[in-house]
Amino acid sequence: MTVLGVLAVAAAVAPLLARWWGRDAGWPLAAVFLVLAVVIAAQLPAVLDGEVVETSWPWIPAAGVNFALWLDGVGWLFAMLVLGVGALIMAYCARYFGRTSSQSRFYLLMGIFAVAMLGLVLADDLLLLFVFWELTSICSFFLIGGTSLKADKPAMRALLVTAGGGLALLSAVTLLAVRTGTTQLSAILADTSWLQDGWTGPLVAVFIIIAAFTKSAQVPFHFWLPGAMAASTPVSAYLHAAAMVKAGIYLLIRFTPAFSDLALWNVVLVTFGLATAIYGAVLALKEYDLKSLAAFSTVSQLGYLVAIIGIGTSYALAAAAIHTLAHALFKATLFMMVGVIDHQAHTRDIRELGGLRRSMPVSAVLTGLGAMSLAGLPPVLGFYSKEKLFAGFLEAGGPGWVAPLAGGAAVLAAILTFGYAARFWYYTFGGQPSDRSDVREAPASFLFPPAVTALAGLGLGLSVPALRPFAERVVADTGFGAQTVEIHLIPGLTPDVGMSALAILFGLGLFLSRERVDSLLHRRSAPTTGDAVFDRVHATSLAFGRRVGDLTRSAAPPVHIVPAVFVLGVLAAVAVWWGMPVVQPPEPVVRTWDWLVIAAITAAVLGTVLVRNRIAAVVLLGVVGVLLGVWFVLLGAIDVALTQITVEVLTVVVLVLVLRRLPVMFQRVGGVRIGLSAALALAAGGVAAVATFLLTGRRELSPVSEYLMTHSEEDTGGINVVNTILVDYRPLDTLGEVTVVGIAGVGILALLHTVRLRGREDPTPSHRRWSPIEDPWGNAIVIQVVGRVLAPVIIVLSLWMLLRGHNANGGGFIGALVAGAGLCLAHAAAPDPRRSLVLRIPGVAVITAGLALSVVTGLFGLLDGSFLRPLHADIGAYHFTSALVFDVGIYLAVIGTVVVALTRLGVPHPPTEPTREPPARSGTRGERDAQALPPTALDGHDPGNGERAPVRRGDSATEPGGEQ
Amino acid sequence: MTAAVLVGVLVAGAVFLIVQRGLVRIALGLIMLGHAANLVLLAAGGMYRREAPLIDQIAAVQTAADPLPQAFVLTAIVIAFGVTVYLVALAGAGTGDDTEESQ
Amino acid sequence: MIATALPFAAAVPLLMGTLLLVLRSPVWLRRTITLGTSTLVLGYAGLLILVTRGGAVLAHPLGLWETSPGEPVVAIPFAADMFSALMLAVTALLTLLCVAYGMVAGDDEQHYFQPMVLMLLAGVSGVVLTADLFNLFVFIEVMLLPSYVLMSMLGGGHRLRAGRLYVTYNLFASGVLLAGVAFVYGVAGTVNFAELAGAGQESTAVAVAAGVLMVALGMKAAVVPVHGWLSNTYPDTSPALSALFSGLHTKVAIYAIYRLYALIYGGDDRFLGVAVAIMVATMVIGVLGAVGESTMRSILTLHMVSQIGYILLGLALFGPLGLAAGIFYLLHNTVVKGALFLATGAVEQTYGTQRVYDLGGVARKEPLVAFAFVGAALALTGIPPFSGFAAKYLLLHASISAEQYGAAVAIVLVSLFTLLSMIKIWSNVFWGPLKREPESHPGGDTETSGTEADSSTAMATGNGSLLQRGTTRTHARAGAPLTHVRLAMIIPALVLTLLALGIGLGAQGLLVLTQEAASGLIDTSTYVEAVIGQ
Repeated sequence: MTVLGVLAVAAAVAPLLARWWGRDAGWPLAAVFLVLAVVIAAQLPAVLDGEVVETSWPWIPAAGVNFALWLDGVGWLFAMLVLGVGALIMAYCARYFGRTSSQSRFYLLMGIFAVAMLGLVLADDLLLLFVFWELTSICSFFLIGGTSLKADKPAMRALLVTAGGGLALLSAVTLLAVRTGTTQLSAILADTSWLQDGWTGPLVAVFIIIAAFTKSAQVPFHFWLPGAMAASTPVSAYLHAAAMVKAGIYLLIRFTPAFSDLALWNVVLVTFGLATAIYGAVLALKEYDLKSLAAFSTVSQLGYLVAIIGIGTSYALAAAAIHTLAHALFKATLFMMVGVIDHQAHTRDIRELGGLRRSMPVSAVLTGLGAMSLAGLPPVLGFYSKEKLFAGFLEAGGPGWVAPLAGGAAVLAAILTFGYAARFWYYTFGGQPSDRSDVREAPASFLFPPAVTALAGLGLGLSVPALRPFAERVVADTGFGAQTVEIHLIPGLTPDVGMSALAILFGLGLFLSRERVDSLLHRRSAPTTGDAVFDRVHATSLAFGRRVGDLTRSAAPPVHIVPAVFVLGVLAAVAVWWGMPVVQPPEPVVRTWDWLVIAAITAAVLGTVLVRNRIAAVVLLGVVGVLLGVWFVLLGAIDVALTQITVEVLTVVVLVLVLRRLPVMFQRVGGVRIGLSAALALAAGGVAAVATFLLTGRRELSPVSEYLMTHSEEDTGGINVVNTILVDYRPLDTLGEVTVVGIAGVGILALLHTVRLRGREDPTPSHRRWSPIEDPWGNAIVIQVVGRVLAPVIIVLSLWMLLRGHNANGGGFIGALVAGAGLCLAHAAAPDPRRSLVLRIPGVAVITAGLALSVVTGLFGLLDGSFLRPLHADIGAYHFTSALVFDVGIYLAVIGTVVVALTRLGVPHPPTEPTREPPARSGTRGERDAQALPPTALDGHDPGNGERAPVRRGDSATEPGGEQ
Repeated sequence: MTAAVLVGVLVAGAVFLIVQRGLVRIALGLIMLGHAANLVLLAAGGMYRREAPLIDQIAAVQTAADPLPQAFVLTAIVIAFGVTVYLVALAGAGTGDDTEESQ
Repeated sequence: MIATALPFAAAVPLLMGTLLLVLRSPVWLRRTITLGTSTLVLGYAGLLILVTRGGAVLAHPLGLWETSPGEPVVAIPFAADMFSALMLAVTALLTLLCVAYGMVAGDDEQHYFQPMVLMLLAGVSGVVLTADLFNLFVFIEVMLLPSYVLMSMLGGGHRLRAGRLYVTYNLFASGVLLAGVAFVYGVAGTVNFAELAGAGQESTAVAVAAGVLMVALGMKAAVVPVHGWLSNTYPDTSPALSALFSGLHTKVAIYAIYRLYALIYGGDDRFLGVAVAIMVATMVIGVLGAVGESTMRSILTLHMVSQIGYILLGLALFGPLGLAAGIFYLLHNTVVKGALFLATGAVEQTYGTQRVYDLGGVARKEPLVAFAFVGAALALTGIPPFSGFAAKYLLLHASISAEQYGAAVAIVLVSLFTLLSMIKIWSNVFWGPLKREPESHPGGDTETSGTEADSSTAMATGNGSLLQRGTTRTHARAGAPLTHVRLAMIIPALVLTLLALGIGLGAQGLLVLTQEAASGLIDTSTYVEAVIGQ
C-alpha cells in the first residue's frame, strides 16, 4: 500500500519535476521506481514461504467494496516487472527525448499508468482491479493519441477495443459479485463453489477471456497493438510490451485456479493462443519497420503465453511465469534498442539499415542478446523459457492427438520467431554497411537501460536453476499446491529440448532462404486487416446511428405528439385487458338539457375542424368555449363558467390580433393525411370517451370535498367554497397559476424583444374576403361607440366581482378577466390604437406588483405560522381577510398580462427600425431590404427576417433593457 | 355519460387539429384539448350533483357539486390561457406559423 | 421550523425573480441576487439532507389547515425526505453554476434571463417538495413557462422553431397530465400523495388512471417512444440553457415518476417486464442516435435520452438495489451532463461553432476545458475513477440480481457506444489540427443550430442572433483579443467535473444517502404519516 502511495505521489509530482528538469525528470522517477522495486523485492523471502502480504481499507462498504491489496507469488512477479522495467524505462526517457520539448504531460501519464498497473496486479478486490484495469487503458489512450496529429485513430481503436474488454471484465466482476456476494478476489478464487452454479462458470470464463484477449492483443483483437506503435518508443516498450499488455496474462493466470479444468477455457486459450502466436510471427516476418516488427513479435509471444496458460497444468503455469519474465526482459531490450537505432540512424526501416555493427558495436551486442532470447538460443533465458513452453504443450490434455498438434504448432511459431529475430538483427547490424557513415554509437547513459535488461536476460539464463523456487511458488499460488519444477542449466535429452533444436534448425533455414520467403510472403497479403474491419464497423455504426436519429429529426409537433397518442391507446388496451370493474354511479347522471348543449358543441367543434379560414376557425372555437361555459352553469360551476367565458373572449381577441399578421387560410394538407388524422382523431376520441365514462363520477362526494363544504365557512368566513379553496385552502395553486400567467405576459415581451412580429402578409385576391373581426381597426365605429360606454362600466364591474368573490361568485381571477375584456373593448374603441389608453398601462410593472403582492401577502401568513396562511381582521363592519389582498395581487397580475398581450400583439404594424446594425455575414442584405422594402413584403420571402433586433419603444416600464 | 361523449368529441377534434400543419391550428387543437381535460376534471367530481357550492344556498351537502374540481378547473383554465397566449405570440412572431419546412 | 420553511424553497426564488423583473440595474446587484438566491436554496437543501438523515421526513401543511386524524387532508402539504432533499440540492447546484456560466457567456445581457431562471428554480423546488398531485401539475407549469420564454429568447437561429415545438409538445403533455390528475381524483377521490399510497395495487382503476400520469410524465422525461422532441429543441438554445434544462426538466419529470410510481404502485411487479423493455429501448435508441449526430450538443442531448433509460431502469427493477442505483445514477448524471454541456459550450461560444468536424486541436490550446470534458465524458461512459463506473456497477449489479439479463447486456453494450460517441467528440474537437481560432469578431454562437447549412437558414441564424452578436462583442471587449476560452467560462464545468471525480472516488458518501432515499421509496409509511400529519 505504502508502495502504491509513494508511487502515486511520484506520479503527482512528475509534471513538476518535468517542468524543473525537463527530460531529466526521468532520473529521479527512475530512482523512485527502483527503491519501490527493492521494497517489493524485499518481500520475496516471505512470498516464497507462501505468506501473502495483505492490506485492506474500506472503500465503498455500502456496496461491499474494499480497497484491498495482496501480494503473493504471481503478484510479486508482475509487480517486479512493473517497477523494474518501469525504472529502466524512466531512465531511458531521460535520454530519449529532446532537451527542449516539455514532457510534463508524458511523465504524468506514465506515472499514473505505473500506479494503475501496480494496483492492478496487487488488487485483491475485483472492482478495484477493474478500476485500475480501465485506468491503464485510458493512460494508453492518451499516451498514444497525444503524440502526433495522426495518432488519434489508432488511439481510438486501442481504447475502444480495450475498453470493450474492460466492460467484459466488469460483467464478469458483477456476475461474480452477485453469485458469491463478495468482490474479494482471493475469497472468490479460494472457494470456487460458484462454478457449480449452472452457466455462471462458463459465462465468467468467457468474459474473462474476452477481457484478457483484448488487453493482450490476441486474435481477433490483436490489431490495436501494432497501431499503438504510433506512441513514442518508451511508451511502446513499457505499456505495449512489458506491462500493460501483460495485464491480460495476469488475469488469465489469476483465474487459472478456477478454470484450469474447464474444457472451454483450455480449448479457447490454446487454439486462439497458438493461432495468434503463428499469425503474429508471420506478420512480423513481413515487416520492414523495426518497431512494427517488434510489435507483431509481442502479439505472437503473448499468444504463446495465452496458449500455455490454457494448457492449465502446473508445469505449464511455471513455464508461463518464466516466459513472462523472459519476454518482459528481451522485449523491453529490443524496443529500447529500436529507439536507440532510430535515434542514431534516424530510421527504423530495415531496408535502409544494415551493417551498423561497426559503428554501433555495443548496440549490436545488446540487440543480439535480446534477439537470441527471443529466438530461444541458449544460454539466454529465452531458451529455457521456450523449452519449458514446449514441455508444457506436450502436457496438453484431451484426446491423444492434441498434445502433438499443440507442440507442432508451438514449434512452427518458434521457427518463424527465429526467422524474424534473425532478420531483426541481421538487417540492422549485419550485412553490408549501408551508406551511413554518419551513424555514431549512442551515449552510455542512453544504452544503460537496455543493457541492464539484456544482461539480466543473459544472467538469469546462466543461473536459471535459481528461478526454481520462484516458479514453484507461482505454481502453488495458481492452485496446484506444492509441486517441484525441474529446471536445469544443461537440460537432458528430453523431447522439449529436441523441439527447441528443431525450431532453431528450421529457423536457421528460414533465415538463410530469406529472399524466397520475403517474395512469397509479399505475394500473399492478408485478405483484410483488423483495422479495416474495425473501421468498417465503426463507420457503419455511425451511419446507422444517423438513420436512427433521422426517425425523429423533425421540428413538426405532430411527429412527436402522435407517438404519445399511440402510447395512450396502448395504455387503454392494457386497461381493457386487465378488465376494469365498472361501478354504477350513485344516481342517474344525464339531464335532457345536456344533449342539446352537446349537440351544439359538437357542431361547433366540427366547424372548427373543417373550415380553412383562420378567423372562422378561431371564432368557432370561441363558440365551443362559450357553449362549454353554458354547460358549466348547468353543472353548477358558476365561477368556472364565468372564467371560461371571459377567458374565451380574451383568447379569441388575442388570436385575432395575431391572425391579422398571418395568411387568411390555413396551410393545405394532403387528402391522405386528412384521412389518417381523422382516423387517429376518432380513435383517440373514442378512447378518451370510454376512459372518462369508466373513470369518473362513479363514487360519492370525496371526503375532502365534504370536509370543505362543511368547514369552509367557520374556517375562512367565506361562503363561496370554490373561492375559499382558491384563496384560503389551496392558495399555492393559485399563486402558481398567477405566476404562470404573469410569466406568459413577460414572456411575450421578452420574445418580441428578440424576435419581431411578423408583418401582415399581402393577401392574394383569391383569399381576400372581408370579415369584420379580421380587421378591427377598419370597422371600428360600432365597437368604438359601444366600447366608450361599456369599457368603464366593465372595469367597475370587475372590481365589484373582485371584492365579492369570497362570499359569492367572482373573485380575483374572474374580476381581472372581466376587466381584461373591458380593456379589450377600450383598446378596440380607441380611435387610434397607437394612442389608446391601454398602451399607457405599464404591463410588466402591473404584473410585478401583482406577483409581489401575492407572495408578500403569503409571507405575512408566517405571523400565523405558515406561508400563505390567511389572516383575518375586522375593520369596522367589514370582515377583512388577507386572502382578499392575495386576490388583489392576482387581479393585478392577470390584468398586466392581458395588457401586455393587447399592446404588444395589438400594434397595427410591427416597428421596423432595428436598433443594432445587422450582422456581419448576411447583414448587408438584411439592411438593404429593411430600407428598400416595406417590412410587410419582407417576411414573405426572406426566412431570415423572422428574427430582429430588439425594438425600442417609448414605454419605459415595458422597455426591456439591453444596456447592461 | 354526457361528459364522456363531450370529452370524446373534444378530444377527437383536438387531436385532428393537432396533427395538422400550421401552428395556429395546432394551438386551436391544444385549446380544445384543454377544454376536454377540464371537462374530465369536473366529471371527476360527479355529474349528478349540480348545485352551485355556495354554502348559504345549497339544500344539502350531498346535492351540491363537488367544489374541489371546480377550483382545479379554474386554475387549469387560467394556466391554459397563459400558455396559449404565449403560444399564439410565438405563432405571430418570426416567419409565419408553418410548422413544416416544405413551403 | 425547518419544516415551516419548506415552501420558501419555492417562494423566495419566485419573489426574487419577480423583483428582478423590474430591477434593471446595477448589474452587480442583479447578479448577486440571482447567485445568492440559488446559493440559499442550495444551502437549504444541504440542511434538509442533514435533517432527513436516518429516514426522517419533514412535512408542512400550507396554510396550517391541519385536520384531525381520520379526516382528509385539505391543505397542500410540502414534504421533504432524503430523495427530495438530494434532488433539490443537485438542481440548485446546477442552477447556480449554469447561471454563473450564463453571466460569463453573456446570456444575462438579456434582461429577462435571470428572473426567468429564478422562477424556473422556484418551479423545480415546488415540484420536488409538494405532496399534492394537482399542485405538482401547477408547479410543473410554473417550471415550464420560464423555460418556454428562455428557449425562444436565447439561442441560435432555430430557437423559434425549437421553441414552438417545445411549447406545443409540453402543452399537450400537460393536457394529458391534467387528465391523469382528473382520472385519479375521479376514482380515488383525492389528490394527496399520502392518501394515494398503495392505491394502485388495491384498485385497477387507480392503476390505470395513474398510468395516464405516468405516460404524461414519461413524455416530459423523453422516454422512448416519446423522446424525439428533446434532440430537436435543446441543441437550439444557448449552452447555458441546454445544461440547465438537461439537469432540471427531464430530471424533475423523472423525480415525479419515481415518487408517484413508488407511492401509487409500490413496486407492483406486474409492470417489471414492460418497464424494463421500455427503458432498454430508451437506452439503445438514444445512444444510437447520439453516435450518429455531428454537433456536440445534439450528441449530448441524445445521450440524455439514453441516460434517462439507465435512470428509470433502476426504478423498473425497484428493490433497494435498483432504486439506490437509479437515484445514484440520476444525481451523478445530472452533474456530469451539466459539466459536458458547459465544457462543450465554452468551446462552442469561444470558437463559434459546435459542429465537431469544424473544430480541432482544442486540447493543446485549452487544457482545462479538455480536462473538464474528458472527466465528464469518462464519467458518462462509466470509466473509473469518475462517478460513472460506480453508478453503472450498481445498476448492473441490480439488474443481474433481478435476473434481468437483457437489461444487463444493454447496460454493457450501450456503454461501449457511449464511449464511441464521446471519442467522436474528443478526437474531432480536441485532437487533430487546430481548425479555427477563437472568434475575436462578434458572432459567438451563430451556429448553435448545427446540422443544416443551406443558405436560407444561414441567413436566419445570421439575423437570428443579433443579441448573441451583441453579447459576444462584449466578450471581445472583456478579454480582447479573445485568444482562449476565458477562465471564468471554464470554472463551472470544472467544478462539476471535480464533483464527478469526488463522487467516483468517494462513492460511499453518496451511495449511503441514495440508499436511504431508496428505502424511503420502498417503505413509504414514514412519508405518509408525515404528510397526513400524525
